[in-house]
Order: sequence, then C-alpha cells, then structure tokens
Amino acid sequence: MTRRRLPEWFVLLLPAIIVIAAVVLIPLLFSLYSSFTPYKLTRPSTLWKWVGTYNYEKILSDAKFWAAFGRTVLFLTIVLNLELLLGLGIALMMNKVTWGQRTLRTILMFPMMFSPILVGFQFKFIFNDNIGLVNNVLQSMGFDAALPWLVDGKLAMFSIMFAEIWMSTSVFAILILAGLFAMPRDPLEAAKVDGCTPWQSFRHITLPFLMPFIYIAMTIRSLDVARAYDIVQIMTGGGPARRTELLWTLMSRTGYVDARMGLANAMGYVSIILSILFTIYFFRKLSAARAELGMAG
Amino acid sequence: MDRNQSHRNRRRALKALHFTGLFLTMMIICIPGLWIVLNSFRPTVEIMAKPAIWVPSFTLEHYRAMFAGAGEGGVPVFSYFRNSLIVSVTSTLIAILIGMSGGYAFARYRFKGKNGYFVGLMLFRAVPGVALSLPLFIVFAKAGIIDTHLGLILAYVAMNVPFTIWLTDGFFRQIPRELHEAAEIDGCTRWQAFWKVEFPVARSGVASAAIFAFLTSWNEFALASQLTRSVGSKTMPVGLLDFTAEFTINWGGMCALAVLMIVPALILTFIVQKHLIAGLTFGGVKG
Amino acid sequence: MTEVTLSQVVKKYGQHQAVHGIDLDIHDGEFVVLVGPSGCGKSTTLRMIAGLEDISGGEVAIGGRVVNDLPPRERNISMVFQNYALYPHMTVRENLGFSLRIAKQPEAEIAKAVDEAASILGLNELMDRKPAALSGGQRQRVAMGRAIVRHPDVFLFDEPLSNLDAKLRTQMRVEIKKLHQKVESTIIYVTHDQVEAMTLADRIVLMRDGHIVQVGTPLELFNTPVDTFVATFIGSPPMNLVDGVVRQGQITLDGGITVPVPVTAGALREGQAVKFGFRADNLMPVGHAVEDEGAVYELDLPVTLTEPLGTETLLFTKMAGGEVQAKMFNPRPVAPGEQLRFRLMLDKCHVFDATSGLAVRG
Repeated sequence: MTRRRLPEWFVLLLPAIIVIAAVVLIPLLFSLYSSFTPYKLTRPSTLWKWVGTYNYEKILSDAKFWAAFGRTVLFLTIVLNLELLLGLGIALMMNKVTWGQRTLRTILMFPMMFSPILVGFQFKFIFNDNIGLVNNVLQSMGFDAALPWLVDGKLAMFSIMFAEIWMSTSVFAILILAGLFAMPRDPLEAAKVDGCTPWQSFRHITLPFLMPFIYIAMTIRSLDVARAYDIVQIMTGGGPARRTELLWTLMSRTGYVDARMGLANAMGYVSIILSILFTIYFFRKLSAARAELGMAG
Repeated sequence: MDRNQSHRNRRRALKALHFTGLFLTMMIICIPGLWIVLNSFRPTVEIMAKPAIWVPSFTLEHYRAMFAGAGEGGVPVFSYFRNSLIVSVTSTLIAILIGMSGGYAFARYRFKGKNGYFVGLMLFRAVPGVALSLPLFIVFAKAGIIDTHLGLILAYVAMNVPFTIWLTDGFFRQIPRELHEAAEIDGCTRWQAFWKVEFPVARSGVASAAIFAFLTSWNEFALASQLTRSVGSKTMPVGLLDFTAEFTINWGGMCALAVLMIVPALILTFIVQKHLIAGLTFGGVKG
Repeated sequence: MTEVTLSQVVKKYGQHQAVHGIDLDIHDGEFVVLVGPSGCGKSTTLRMIAGLEDISGGEVAIGGRVVNDLPPRERNISMVFQNYALYPHMTVRENLGFSLRIAKQPEAEIAKAVDEAASILGLNELMDRKPAALSGGQRQRVAMGRAIVRHPDVFLFDEPLSNLDAKLRTQMRVEIKKLHQKVESTIIYVTHDQVEAMTLADRIVLMRDGHIVQVGTPLELFNTPVDTFVATFIGSPPMNLVDGVVRQGQITLDGGITVPVPVTAGALREGQAVKFGFRADNLMPVGHAVEDEGAVYELDLPVTLTEPLGTETLLFTKMAGGEVQAKMFNPRPVAPGEQLRFRLMLDKCHVFDATSGLAVRG
C-alpha cells in the first residue's frame, strides 16, 4: 500500500505480453512498415525506399487479389456454416446414443488431432484422380471416367472444402455436445408437458441454451481459420489456374516464390484484418449470448 | 389404438434413421485415417495398381525404408521425430508456465480493461501463420535463429500462450477463491498457496491445456516450413514434403510417416479428452 | 492476551464505501458475533481482520499489535469459511495438518496436534477420506478442526452454518459453543441469522450499511434496542411497531386506541409522532400469561390467523390498522375472527421517535 510497484496481475501477465510482443508484435510492425516499401528479399536495399500506399493501391486494383479475397470470404462462409450445421446434427445424434457414447466421442475427436498438412496429403491421396480411393470406388462400381477431383476447378474447391469440413466439424460437434450435457432437463420436460412438438422445444429451448456453446466453437474456429492454408497449399497449391487461390496461398506465393515481400505483407495485413474481424465478431456474439442467459460473472 | 400404432412406427423409423446417420458419420470420420494406416502397409506397386486391387497384401517395406535413414534415399525420420519432440515439449513447457501465470491473473484479479486485454491476447492468436511467417522469417534471420530449435520454440510459445491463457483461466476460475484464502490463513505465502493448493487442484486441467499446446506445436506447418531448412531442425510436418518429388509422391512412405505423427497425438487426445472439453467450455461460458 | 481492537476502520471499493469508520474492542476470550442484513459490511470487517481485504483507513490491532499491513499468515488467526474451503486434493488428516506442515513443525508434533483436534471434533473415523466423501456436517467439522489445530490467537467464523440444513445447524451451534468453552480463545463470528447471534454471543455487534448500530449482550439488545432497526432485527417474531401520536400524556395509536405512556419511556413532546413497540410475548390473551405482568393495559382485538407452535401459539391480530402478533401460552383452539381480550404489559413496551427511529428512554 505504501510502496509503489506494478500491480500483481500485471506482473503475472508480463511474460505473456513480452513473448507475444517479441515474436508476434515486432514482426507484425516490421511487416506493416515493409508493406509501405517495395521490399524484395533479393535486394535488401529496397527496404529503405518508402512508396507510401503503393502496394495497397496495387493489390486493391488487382483483379487476382480480389478474386482470391472473394473466394476466401465465400470459402469461410460456406465452410463455417456447414461445419456448424453438421456439428449440431452430429451432437444431437450423439446425445441420443445410449450405448458406447464415450467411444464414439473419442472417435469424434480424432480429426481435431490431425495436422492440417496431414489432412491435406490425406485427401490429396484420397481424391487423386488416378489412384485415389474415391475414384477407385467409383470405377469399381462401374463409372468409366476418372473424375478429375483436384484438376477441375469446381471439383477441386469441393475437395478442399470437404477436407476442411472433415477436419473442423469435430470442434463444433464436441462443444455443442458438451452444451447438451450441461443442459438442465426441467425446461425440456416442462415444454413437453406444455404441449411443444419436438421441433418447437428444440427451437425455443434447446437452441437458445446452446448458443453460447456454438459461439465458443465459432470463436475457437475463427482463431485459426487460416489453417486452411496448409490444406490448400498441399492439395492444389491454389491451382488449377488459380481456381482455388485463397488469400493465404496468394500471399505466400507473392512472398516466397516471387520474393516480393512488401507486396506480400500488404496482402498479409488484409488477411490479418479479416481474421481479426471474424474473431472480434464472434467474441461479441459470445458475450451477448452469455449475458442473455445470465451466465456472465 | 391406431394412433399408438402410428407413433410406434414413427419411432421405429426415427431410430433406424438415427442409427444410419451415426454410422455414416463415423465411417466418414474413420475411413480417411484408416486408409492412411492401411496404405502404409501396402507395397507401392499395389497402391499404384490400375485397376485397383481391393484385397491388400502386407509389407513393412515403407517403415523399413523410413527407419533406415537418409543413406538409402530415405527420409531422416529419426531426426525429424527428435526435432518435433524437442520443439514441442520445450515450447509446451514454457507456454504452460507463461500461460498459467496469465490465466491466473485473469481468473483471480480484478483490473480495468480486463476483457480488452483478454480479447487482445486472443487476437494475436488469430494472426494467420502464413502472414506471420513472412516477417518472422526476416526478423529471425536478422537474429540468427533461422533453422534452429530455439527459433521454432519461441514462435510456438508465442502461438500457444493465448490459448493456454484461455484454458487455464477457465480451470482456475472453477476453484473457489476461498481455497486460496484458507491457505493464506493457514500460513502460506501467495506463492505457496498457489503451488500447494490451487495448482494441485487444477492439475488435470493444466495437463490438458499442455497437451493441447503440444499438439498445436506437433502439427504446425506454416511457420515451421519457413523457419526450418535443414535436417537439424525440420519437424515432421515439414518432413512430409520430403516424400514429394517434382511429379510423383511416394504415398506409401508418406503414409508411414503420417502414422508415426498421428499415433502420439491420438494417445494424448484419448487421455485428456474429458478435461479438454471442460476447459474449453468453462473458459468461454463462465467468462 | 489477545484482544482485538478496531479503531475508525474504513473500507472503500473505489467510490463506494462499504465500512464507515468502525470502533470496536473485543476482549480476550470473548465470543463476539457480528450480525446484520446482507451487505451491511460484517463480512468485509471480518475479512479485514483476517487480512484478506486491504484496510482503507483506521487501524486493526490484534493482541496490541497493529496488523494493518501484515499478510494473513503473520496474524496468527484461523478462519472457518462459509463453504468450508477444504483442500479437495488432501485427506482429512492432511487438511488438518496443513498449517503446521507449512510452519515446518516436526512430524511427531503435527500428528499429535491433529489427533487431538480430531478427537475434540469426533473426526477419528474420517481421517483418510477426501472432502468429497464427507457430508456437509462432517466437512464443517473438518473446517473447524483445521482452525483449532494451530491454537491461534483469534478464531474467525464467516457464516459457517449457512450451508447446513436447519437440524444440523442447531447441532453445530451447540458444538461451536462447546468448542469455545474448551479452547477459551477469542472468537469473532459473522452471521446474518439473529438466532445464531443470540444463542452464541457473549456480545453482539449489530451492523447496518457499514455502521455499527448497537453493541451489547444478547439480552441488552433484546430488552433495550436503541432504535426500530434493532427492535425488529433481534428477536423472533420481530417486535410489533404501531404508529401513534403523543396526546395529553398518553399515546393515541392510529385507529383510535389510546395507551398510557410506558414507565420506561423518557420525555415525550406533545404531538410527537412515535412508533409504539412491544413484543408478541407482551401481548397475551387474558388468562394465558405466564408471569407477573406489572402494569397492564387491557384491550379487545380480533384474531385473524393462528400459528400453533406446540407450547405456544402465535396469534395474528389487527390493531390500529396494522397487523400485530401476540402470543398465547397453554394454547386452546381459536377460530379466525374471534374477539379476544388481550393484556398489554406496559413495563415492557418501547417508544421510538417516528422520524429518527431512535428509542425514547428515561
């Protein structure tokens, strides 16, 4: 009380703040700076040339960038919604299981533990047009032509989404299932007695109760939506002919293959802002849902 | 009577539907993984065969090649495994210590702008690995820690700390504050009260946070692929790329390495699955 | 000698002031109960004595030593928490011995002290169980055992019985009292339940809104409450208060009944608005009293509701437009609506000023 010193909570948070500042914040500041230069890895002196918003103007007027941006947003929207719906469905099915639930739940968690790059290779293998499992099965069933899963633009997008959904639906299913377990029985029974149909009691009682859990899952997912990069990079590398190009693959190609760091970092910032917007959006939804159910505090 | 009958039929139909749905879900979840395991034991000729051969034969050829080391054109799996292990374990330990301290601050102290700090820390976790890898590569190159264990460990610590904070915050919050107060009255310093009372009580939760951090490091690719170059520091996810050549992929060998990656992850997951769910939901719901 | 002295103790949370400069002297070996409605600052005061809350102003001294800035472990106190706060990962034995082990006492002495505490509280059968395997009453006992093991200067109890069911609460109350007789240490006990305060305390400290309202023995608070708050808080059922006005040396109650001014009352102004207070025990139907009544005033009142309690029956009646409770010993059945003749024992009545609520006493 008499001595003047840092508050304890701050001291406890300090290591976290320091390490994050050193490893994430400083590089990000550096990349922010370099996004205003024509920096090329091969010519270090370019780092000192200030070009203002040139890189941003360039990417913002670049049709390829906008295509990748739009595709990324579309990809995330479709994938997240499908994961949510499938996760909800799986959780509801699991909740009704009376026998062997623990085992099923463990199986459900498997995909969460796969490295994204492994998921990429796995589905690259399975969707391989020549020796992949899918085509082998189709051909054994009498289809003649080998479907070009990863070569045709639309099919490739489908394959990538399939891989992404396979990997991430578990997060939703597991957390929603946890919500279902935590749910009090009384309101549901009261609803039954009051004459609600199963759909009505789901819509008006179960679903509102699950909302915080859904938003937790969404928040956790939004923290690493960019994991999709690993999958896309492995499965198609953004091809064929940029048909599956997402923001992240475009950025990595610009940075590492073309060595145009300044430009790549400008794209990087767009992708960072995109990720952060997603996260903030779901954090807000989460606290709103919590407040509504009186779970805060 | 009729109405009873129709309800009974409906219930039966729903039950069949439920069973089918569950069965299909489990198939879709399991088959890709099993396919990898299966192919790690099949000879390459058979994997590449056209038309497909459905009755698999069994060989350890890929595992033998993998463990034979780099000399026979194989992949230095041992080094990759060792690198992965060193980097993941070290970064996990450090991330847990730092994250636990932060999580404790959020769970136990009241301060202005707490929510802001929390979301702020989480946002750093949201920075895409690819976007970070470009500048991090340059900064680490300047610091001379490209292609070292240290560099990768640092990166993973920073990556894992926010989420560890989320999880441990949830676990510490479940412990009544009075426990700490009772320990202080019983003669503990704050430090003793934490290590002798709160930490043991939250132990299983902290363990699952650790396993989560471990798996994130174990599986990470985007950063590792840029920050490591040589056999001395490459981790297994990066090592998978060794099986790809310009136009061909050694599927059998890759599957074998994949199995080596998955097995520890699955075992750990199995151990902590219960605590993990509790931690995620407590961290979020009782915020 | 371990008296506890609070002088001008203040607690502020930012702008909000929870405790407003409390003065209190607690003697060595005394059992003091802090009681009051929730939010009155009693728990905060206790926690400041324990060292769990910073003291915003004033001084707390234990055994003559100012402890304001000492951490809890240097105050030689022990505390029993509302939800027991047993260490869930330790057995009962480890829980009891924890404080001594922290103090690095020799193992033999720890074992001896633990056994002693265990036999005082009858815990010998439970020593190797974990708290999760104990019932509420057993947990409560372990919490108390943990407190007595180290022979502290002062025991602090923070609503220790509020999580127990009614029957167990009565039983534990007796045990706490016995414990006090055995250990003879100073005890500071916080509760919101006036029955606990009345039955346990050597002295009661009644608090409201961060102020001490009255300090005294249970009977002092019961018999001579300083204001209407004390009058209604202490005792069950609460004291009846009827509005009235002083007219010509008498008190005219709303509704027209006029009663003489009780002899205990002090100077009253003509026309002064007052609250006329009396306990249910002092309004009894004629023929049902149990003691010599002194000066009485008789009046007829209708009974609206009865609550038989066995040896006595509570009668709800209407008086001066309000509801008033009376008591009947040697009960007989009374039908709702029945008119009874009651005797009001004037010597035991109280007069409070209607605006300030303070007792007017001679």
